[in-house]
Amino acid sequence: MKTLTRQDLAALAAQPAAAPAEWIRVQLDTGGIAAGAETLFTALDHARLEHRLPFALQRTGSTGYAFADPVVEVQTVGLPRVHYGHMMPELAPQLIESHFTHRRLLDDHVIATRRRSLVLDAPVTHILVRDTGNGPGSKTEFFQFSFQEELKRRGLADRVQVVRAFDMGIYDEGAVVQLLPSAVTYTNVLAPDVARIITESIEAGKVLDDLLWKTSDKQVRIVLRHCGEVDPDSVDDYLRRAEGYQAFARALFELTPEQVIAEMKVSALRGRGGAGFPTWMKWQLTRAQPATQRYVICNGDEGDPGAFMDRSVLESDPHTVLEGMLIAAYAMGSSQGYFYIRAEYPRAVERIQRALDQAREIGLLGQNILGSTFSFDAKIRLGAGAFVCGEETALIASIEGKRGSPSPRPPYPSVRGLWGMPTAINNVETLAIVPAILLKGGAWYAGHGTETSKGTKVFAVTGKVRNAQLVEVPMGTTLRQIVFEVCGGVLDNKEIKAVQTGGPSGGVIPASLLDTPVSYETLQQLGSIMGSGGMLVMDKGDSMVEVAKFYLRFCVDESCGKCAPCRIGGYQLLQILDRISRGRGNAGDLAIIHRVCHAMQKASLCGLGQTAPNPVLSTLRYFGEEYQAFIEGGPSYARKVSGAAKAAKAPAPATTQEVSS
Amino acid sequence: MKTNPPSGSESSIADLRHADEAELIDMLEKAEQKHGFIPREISDEIARLLEVKLERLRRIQGKLDTTIRRDVQQHVAHWRNEEGNLIMILHAIQNQHGYIPREVAMELSRELGVKLARIYEVITFYHYFKLQPPGAHNVTVCNGTACYLKGSGDLINELRTQLGIAEGQTTPDRQIHFETVRCIGCCGMAPAMVVDGKTCGHVKTSDVAGHLANLRAKKETAA
Ligand SMILES: Cc1cc2nc3c(=O)[nH]c(=O)nc-3n(C[C@H](O)[C@H](O)[C@H](O)COP(=O)(O)O)c2cc1C
Ligand code: SF4
Ligand code: FES
Repeated sequence: MKTLTRQDLAALAAQPAAAPAEWIRVQLDTGGIAAGAETLFTALDHARLEHRLPFALQRTGSTGYAFADPVVEVQTVGLPRVHYGHMMPELAPQLIESHFTHRRLLDDHVIATRRRSLVLDAPVTHILVRDTGNGPGSKTEFFQFSFQEELKRRGLADRVQVVRAFDMGIYDEGAVVQLLPSAVTYTNVLAPDVARIITESIEAGKVLDDLLWKTSDKQVRIVLRHCGEVDPDSVDDYLRRAEGYQAFARALFELTPEQVIAEMKVSALRGRGGAGFPTWMKWQLTRAQPATQRYVICNGDEGDPGAFMDRSVLESDPHTVLEGMLIAAYAMGSSQGYFYIRAEYPRAVERIQRALDQAREIGLLGQNILGSTFSFDAKIRLGAGAFVCGEETALIASIEGKRGSPSPRPPYPSVRGLWGMPTAINNVETLAIVPAILLKGGAWYAGHGTETSKGTKVFAVTGKVRNAQLVEVPMGTTLRQIVFEVCGGVLDNKEIKAVQTGGPSGGVIPASLLDTPVSYETLQQLGSIMGSGGMLVMDKGDSMVEVAKFYLRFCVDESCGKCAPCRIGGYQLLQILDRISRGRGNAGDLAIIHRVCHAMQKASLCGLGQTAPNPVLSTLRYFGEEYQAFIEGGPSYARKVSGAAKAAKAPAPATTQEVSS
Repeated sequence: MKTNPPSGSESSIADLRHADEAELIDMLEKAEQKHGFIPREISDEIARLLEVKLERLRRIQGKLDTTIRRDVQQHVAHWRNEEGNLIMILHAIQNQHGYIPREVAMELSRELGVKLARIYEVITFYHYFKLQPPGAHNVTVCNGTACYLKGSGDLINELRTQLGIAEGQTTPDRQIHFETVRCIGCCGMAPAMVVDGKTCGHVKTSDVAGHLANLRAKKETAA
C-alpha cells in the first residue's frame, strides 16, 4: 500500500467510497467466534462461490448483541437491511437461499432496528411481529398467521412479507409489530388491530397513533459508532467508510496542540477507566511538564472480571482507538505510545497489532506523519493476568518489565511516569471517543449527558439479565432504563434484587434505587462507582453475602501484597465473611467488618486496597439484614440458603437458548 | 573351526541394539545364569552398546542445550533494543512451550545478564505465567462475574469431583489440566467453559461428564 498524503485524506473526506449494493457482515469478535461465527463465515463464503453470488462478504466486529451471537447483518436489494441473531453455521444455506433466491427475510432471527420511526415515510414491504408478553404461550405465530391471512384476503400477500422476529428491543409490551422499511412500531397489538393496521397503515399509509410506540431508544452510539460496521482488519475500510483518520488530520493541520486540549475541555470528557479524571486536564498536565520525551499509554487491561467493553472496542474498531492515541500524542507532544492489553485477549492484541502495522505502512505512524513535523509510533505490551496492573503506577512498572506493584502517588504519572518521563494513561473507551469529539466538536459531545458527567458511557450488562449485551447510553439514563428498557429486564421474569456496578471496586445498588440516573457522582453517593462499565444484574435468588465474598476473594487473590492494610485487612475480612456465610458469625462481626473496611480505605497504598471494601460495605448498607440472618440463623440457615441458591441456579442456563429453536 | 558362540547370543546381540539399559543388564544376568559366567563376546557387546547409548544421551542433551540457547537468543534478539523487554520475552517463551521451563529461564538469565531470582520474581507475580507444563488436554472454566452468577461454582465442583483434582492442577496421568479464568469474553453465553480451545456456552453440570469422556476418547485414539 502506498503512503497516504494529506491530499488523499482530503479526497476521502470529500468523497466517501460507494458501498456495494449487497453484502453480508459477519460479526467476528471473541464472543461471536466462540458461538460459531468463523464457521458461519466459511459456510457463507462457500455458498457464495457455489451459487456465484455477487454480494460482498465482510468481517466486522460486534454491534454488542452478546445475547444473540453469532450475529450477522444483511443488505440485499429489495429487502430492508437487517441484523440476524443466533445465526448458527448450519443456517448459512437457508440464509443465502432466502435472501438471494426468494428475496425474503428469515423467520425467527431478526433483531429489529433500534431506530424507530414516528412517520411512515415509505410503503410497507415487511411486517415484523413478536409477542413480547410474559403470558404462557407465545402468540407470535398467531399474529403472523393473522396478518398473512388478512393480507391474502386483500390480495397484498405478494407485496408484504410477515416475519417472526427474534428480538424487538421492546419488552413486556404485548404483541409488537414493526413496519419496515420505515420502522414505525406498534405495541400491545390485539387481534382486532390486525385488520386496522393493514387498512390504515399498509393500504392508506397512515400511522395509528393509539398503537404507536413513541419512546425512542435510550442508546446513543458514540464509542460504539463503528463497532459492527467496519472491518477491524482493514485500514482501507476505516478510511473509506468511517471517516478514518479525518479527526487526526484536522487536529494535525488545523489545530495547535493547545486548541486540541481546549476542544477536549469543552467536551468535558472524563476518563472512562474508573476514576473519571478530566481527560483534557491529564493531557494538559503531561504537556506542561518539561521533558525530552512524553509517553501516552492506552490502558486495555480491563480487569473487571465480567466486563467486556474495552475488549469489544479493541476488537471491533482498533483504528479508532489508535486515532485517539495519535490525537492525544499530538496534543501532549509525545512521540511514543503503548497499548497495554491483557494477554487473555489474544484477538484484541492481534487486531491492534495489525492496525499498527497497517498504519505504519501507509505512513500514519513513523517520522513526519502526513508530511508534518509530528512523529509518533506505538507498540503493544501484554498484561499477564494481574488485576492490579490496571492501576496506573503498577501498569507502568509492568511495561518497564517489572513486577506490577503500585507505588505511592504523587508523583503522578503525568509528572514522573514511564522511565521517569511524563506519561498520560487513558482508557480504551476514552481514546475511542476522542476522534468523535475532534470531528463533531466538544460542544456537540457535551450536549449529551448530565451537568457534571457529559457524554455517553458503555456498559457491559450481564448476570441475571434477559439480554446480556453492550449498551451505550447518555449519562443520566437510569439504571432501570438500562436494565429493563434496553436489556429486557431480569432473566426468566424473576424479581430484580440489585445491580452491581464498578466490578470489584464497586458496590451494589438495590432495586429500590434503580431510578437513579447514572453519573459519576450519583453512583458514588450510593456507595458504588461508575468503574469501567461492568453492570451485573442480580435477582431475588442471589445471596448478597456470597456476592460480596466473591468480589472480595477476587481482590484478596489479586492484592500485590505490598502494603499491610490491603494484604492483611483483605484476608481478615474474607475470613469473617466466610465464617458468616457458613452460619458461624457472631454479633460482633459486623462492627469488626466496618473497622477493617475503614482501615483499608484509609491506609491502603493503591486503588485496589482502597476500594476492595466497597462491595462489602455496600451490601451491608442495603442488605444488612442478610448478614444478620446468617449470623442469627446459624449453620442450618446457611445450608438452607446455599441449597436454595443451587436449586435456583440449576435450570437457568437452558432458558437462554429456547428462543432459537 | 570357529567355536560357536553360546546358543541364542547371535540373535540376542542383534536385538540388544534396541534394548534399554535395564534390558541390557537383564541380559547379562540371564547369560550368567545360563552359562555360569558371562561370555566375553556378550559382555563386550553390551558394554559397547551401553557406551553408544550414553553417547547418544549426551548428544541429545547437548543438542537440547543448544536448541534452548538458540531459541532464547532468538527471543532476546527480537526484543534486544526494547527497554523492559523481560515480560514480552517471557510471553514468547510461554507461547512456544506452553509454560516456562526451568532450563529456559536459566538460559534467559545468562543471556540477559539478569539474576535468575529476579526472573522468577516476575514470573511468579503474574498469574498468566506457568511453571508447570500444561496437560495434554485443557479444561478451563470461566469464573468471571457473569459466569459466577450463573453457576460456574457448580461446574467447578463437578470438575473437581470428576477429575479428583483442584483447579490449577493436572491429573496424575498428565492428561487433563483443569483451570479457572476470569472472563473469557463470552458473558452472553455464561456459564462458559473452554475445552481444548473450544468455547462451550450455557454449560450445565450434567454436560461435564460428556466433555470429559470426549477428551478421554481423544486421548485413546491419539495413543
Ligand atoms: C486496581 C485498579 C484496577 C484498574 N483497572 C483498570 C482497567 O482495567 N482499565 C482501565 O482503563 N483503568 C483501570 N484502572 C484505572 C486506571 O488506574 C486509570 O485511572 C485509568 O486507566 C485512566 O484512564 P482514564 O483517565 O481514561 O479513565 C484501575 C485502577 C485500579 C486502582
Ligand atoms: S493496596 Fe493492595 S494492591 Fe495496592 S499496593 Fe497495597 S497491597 Fe498492593
Ligand atoms: S464472565 Fe464468563 S465469559 Fe465473561
